[in-house]
Amino acid sequence: MSEINTQMDLGVLDVKDLTFYTADGGFTGLKHKGEDYKHIVLRRIMPIELPNEYISIADHENKEIGILRDVSALAQNQREIVQTELDNRYYSPQVIEVLSVKDKLGYVYMEMKLKNMQGRIYDKSCAIKDVSRNIRTLPNNSVLIFDVDGNRYTIPQIKDMSKPSQKRLDAYLF
Amino acid sequence: MKQFIFEYDLGMDMNPLQGELTFSEDGSITSTAEGKEFFRFYASEIKEAVVKAGVGCGLLFVKAEGKDDRILCRFTMTGLKQAGEFCKIVNFFISSGTAAFPEKEEKRVCDSCGRPMMSEINVCVFCYSKLGVMKRALSFAKPYVKQITISQVAGIIPRLMFLISPLFIRYLINNHLEPQIGTWGQILFIAAGMLTVRVIGDVLVIITARIFNRATIAVTNDLRIHAYAKLQSHSMSLFAKRTPGDLIRRIMDDTSTINEFVTDLGRWVIDMFFNFGIAFAVLLFINWQLAILVFVPVPIVIFLLRRFWGMMMARFERQWRQGSRCNSILHDIIKGIRTVKAFGNEKQEIDKFSKANRRLADIGENNEVLWSLLFPPIGFVMGMGEFIILFVGGWMVLNGNWWILSGNMQIGDLMIFTMYLGVIYGPLRWMVHFPRWLANTTTSLVKVFEVLDDESELKPVANPVNIPISGNVDFNGVFFGYKSYEPVLKNITVDIKPGEMIGLVGKSGVGKSTMINLAMRLYDPNTGKITINNTDLRDMDSDHLHESMGVVFQDSFLFAGSFYDNIVYGKPDATFEEVIAACKVANAHDFITQTSDGYNTHIGEGGQTLSGGERQRLSIARAIIKNPDILILDEATSSLDVETEASIQESLNRITQGRTTIAIAHRLSTLRNADRLIVLSEGGVEEVGTHMELLKKKGMYYNLVMAQRQNSRKQEEEQKAEGK
Repeated sequence: MSEINTQMDLGVLDVKDLTFYTADGGFTGLKHKGEDYKHIVLRRIMPIELPNEYISIADHENKEIGILRDVSALAQNQREIVQTELDNRYYSPQVIEVLSVKDKLGYVYMEMKLKNMQGRIYDKSCAIKDVSRNIRTLPNNSVLIFDVDGNRYTIPQIKDMSKPSQKRLDAYLF
Repeated sequence: MKQFIFEYDLGMDMNPLQGELTFSEDGSITSTAEGKEFFRFYASEIKEAVVKAGVGCGLLFVKAEGKDDRILCRFTMTGLKQAGEFCKIVNFFISSGTAAFPEKEEKRVCDSCGRPMMSEINVCVFCYSKLGVMKRALSFAKPYVKQITISQVAGIIPRLMFLISPLFIRYLINNHLEPQIGTWGQILFIAAGMLTVRVIGDVLVIITARIFNRATIAVTNDLRIHAYAKLQSHSMSLFAKRTPGDLIRRIMDDTSTINEFVTDLGRWVIDMFFNFGIAFAVLLFINWQLAILVFVPVPIVIFLLRRFWGMMMARFERQWRQGSRCNSILHDIIKGIRTVKAFGNEKQEIDKFSKANRRLADIGENNEVLWSLLFPPIGFVMGMGEFIILFVGGWMVLNGNWWILSGNMQIGDLMIFTMYLGVIYGPLRWMVHFPRWLANTTTSLVKVFEVLDDESELKPVANPVNIPISGNVDFNGVFFGYKSYEPVLKNITVDIKPGEMIGLVGKSGVGKSTMINLAMRLYDPNTGKITINNTDLRDMDSDHLHESMGVVFQDSFLFAGSFYDNIVYGKPDATFEEVIAACKVANAHDFITQTSDGYNTHIGEGGQTLSGGERQRLSIARAIIKNPDILILDEATSSLDVETEASIQESLNRITQGRTTIAIAHRLSTLRNADRLIVLSEGGVEEVGTHMELLKKKGMYYNLVMAQRQNSRKQEEEQKAEGK
């Protein structure tokens, strides 16, 4: 029997049919086969493994228009619009230093130096509950941290951090 | 002018920015940041304010007629709740023209240290007072002060007796053995005296420990019951906010930690410090200079213990977490074993568990190796203390003086010194662990107090109006969302007359079950009100309301117990005949009687031994046994086959006659006899009317019915084709 993906239309869109633009209100819009969607939502289907591939495009009512297989297949200006929209939706600043870690009342209180996607460096403190679930080491040795408010922070490679930062985090990594 | 300010923390370019989005009483909305005003407009110009959560951030935008949706601001997830609150106020203003501001804003910054408060923790993690928490915990011991005092005062006697024992030996050596003038009779007399003191001491320890333990267990029991009762008084919001595991841990594990602390504190700690004080006093009395020498290794021991203990604790915590991870993997696999077997993934699951377990073993092995390397040096330093006392004391016994130390030391005195060394070093060793012990206990206390202090969203009324409920249910301008920033119901106004049967219709997630939850007062509306016979549900006693309601949920939960136990759960004083009647109506009687023990048959936890249809029939029986004034059916027959559904439907039709009924059904045909159908769309009421009226209207209901008919026709045709 043939594979399931050959039996089912995945709704992959042809990049030639796509024109992304920034609408007046600040949302990203899309013109596709004569339709003008003034407010679309872009979602990464595999945000960790494939951040720039398999992007689901939905209208403002969350109805999927289709899937963009690879952002790099778009023209430069189109790619920039899509990348900006994705960066605006997925906000996960990079932890460049762990300044202190304190266990308080069953929560881990962490002070960190962060770098956001635009390269701005700033300090932030946060509380983490249930650390074994909310500090996740991924197979590629990157680390994802989720705080009690639902903010997320990324450490791309734990070994690239300073030794004191690694030492402070060590007890919480699995 | 009254205002509501939402402090957003990201700019449009996603860089950190401190900005304010302000809604004022006159309906104006302004955005300012870094001293600049970005825009100003009036709420009357827009249709709706909406919050949209992204991943790690969110945005607030407005919809306006004939215009593009417009983003007002962006924020990190820290601002999500406040953004939702902002939208709620603006949307209420748009629908009613009234600016309604919350009475008190949620505390977001600690008053003492200015650090941001975490949304999940009710106290500032840096400023809470451990002493205050302990004081509050001790207040729970008030009713048992008498028992605790008796046990502690009476406990002094065995403690003294324990310390007296070495003095017998000292007396024996100094006065009878060392001068070698004692007789067998004298030795026997002293030994018997020592034995008697020991026996009396041990008996008293048993008695006082029993009194004390009884009191501390009662204190923990009170705390546990208090926390559980408080939990029951909450709305469903609390249960949505905290996981069952978290709540169970708070009520069972954290109270156990508190119990251990109180028990150990009373039994061992007081004991230890009392013994320390007496032993030190005795040693000072015998030879004060040598007594001070006992403390020579103490600073080194404390230094080593503190240093190593911190490191070891971090490692053991890691081991504990990995253990907990193994537990949850095992829990998950066993719970889903049917799926694992069905997919033939046993080997994969064994590998997954083995990998986690191997890691646990590695961490454990490393810790044990380190432990065995670190602690012998500490023991050695302690041993140095004993060596110093033995050397200096022995020298003094033989020569009278050592360096600047002098005094009349005898062999018996030296023996007392060596015997009391353990009593002196014990509390010192323990004191190093005390801060961590105290921290663990205060953590548990704060978690239990959080449950006790959590204010229920369902505010109890001082003088409830418990009017007879005849079934006139009104929704007046009701807005509600499980998360304040995501409204599920928007401006619902519906008047349900007594005895009327109402069918709620709409796509999944449109708010049908939410309406039912609000009618049962499992939650309170965010704005607007729900009344029964013109009395606001919030002014009624919840127990009174629930006594008049019968509910059948889609996921009918049954408790561990017999069929009978589960049915009378709806009416504990029901007669056996009422139970049978209810089961007959619900078509449950036949399958119950076919089981080995009939109505006494024990069903497993959650009714796991029954099929979905059987569970649903039992929950129908449980709901109708109390003959409720208002009957709520939330997909009550969804797990039944068409034939059984039809027969139950017939019974239900009989029961619902003249009784206010609110029903949700996936199969629209089951609602065709409803007096009125309310069709919901995007959280609002789209259509209202009878089955025929709505079909004629050819609106949303018509489309839903047609879609279902087409689907069933297709199925029938397929079945026919298969039959041929």
